[in-house]
Amino acid sequence: MSHETEPIVSDEEKEILQEIMNIAFGNATADLAEVIDIYVVLSVPNIEILGVGAIPNFIEKSVKVYSEIDVVEQKFWGDFNGSGLLVFPNNAGRELINVLDEGGDVDSFEAKPIDNLEKDILMEIGNILIGACVGKVAELLGTIVTYSPPQVISNDNNNEYSYFIDSFDPNQSAILMKTVFKFKDQDISGLLLLLTNQESIEWLKQALNAFMESYE
Amino acid sequence: MIKKILIVDDSPIARKMLNSSLPKDKNYETMFGVNGEDGVVKFQEFQPDVTFLDLTMPIMDGYKALEEIRKLDKNAIVIVTTADIQPKSIATVMELGAFTLLKKPAKSKSIEETLEKIEVKLSKIAGE
Repeated sequence: MSHETEPIVSDEEKEILQEIMNIAFGNATADLAEVIDIYVVLSVPNIEILGVGAIPNFIEKSVKVYSEIDVVEQKFWGDFNGSGLLVFPNNAGRELINVLDEGGDVDSFEAKPIDNLEKDILMEIGNILIGACVGKVAELLGTIVTYSPPQVISNDNNNEYSYFIDSFDPNQSAILMKTVFKFKDQDISGLLLLLTNQESIEWLKQALNAFMESYE
Repeated sequence: MIKKILIVDDSPIARKMLNSSLPKDKNYETMFGVNGEDGVVKFQEFQPDVTFLDLTMPIMDGYKALEEIRKLDKNAIVIVTTADIQPKSIATVMELGAFTLLKKPAKSKSIEETLEKIEVKLSKIAGE
């Protein structure tokens, strides 16, 4: 006898979440443009339901074009509970220094390990994009969240990256919202992932349906 | 007078949200496009008085679709509805000839006010 597993979210709930993510990321890029003279090209977001243990592989597959990556991670808590991950190619921090006009000479930076200034820039951009995106999702779904400070995890630092990978509990499921973006003038592409922890999935389903009720 | 409205968005949820936010008492005839390319085809077939157009779409994005629609009809009235509210995006769609840009999710009130402005514009043109 075969057991068909009930999907964690329905197709309609996935579509609602996709549109909410689209709205949220659009708002986040506008917030970033207010702070930094940067133009972000957006793509259509994608929603995946994964076992948490599959997330590290998913990230690596999604960014396979880059041999080395930096990840800005920021956790959020509340009814909507999870992590925001901003994944950049390893040289993005250096490229972005010029945009911020910090007076850094890109060529003068050592290739490894990631320079503190680069980390600061990635953290700042991560903080703005993840914070604005999560904040807008929370606002649209009628709740509030609190955040941990952002941290940069570089996969050229094995300990840091292994610890990050090991932090994913393979026994849990997650809703993963993925948006690919491109800083147009700098030719830097990255990935924004929002992971929803298993404990907030039930709340999220109810909130998504309540959101759409006003449009019925 | 506005009778026919075309809504172009790749998200079925966004199409539903926008459609249900149109003024109920006007009984508009609506049609939907599921991406930019489909939107251009539907524009030719349906000849809408007003087109609502998203920007971030697969196959053909809203910028290209707006360009194509304005090539087909230089007087086409296109309202861009988008989450992408970066100043550069707004400037680009206005240069391409959009009537206005509404931030997603567009509220019923702002949709109604925008349609009223279009009615005024259309009456002026009809009176000339």
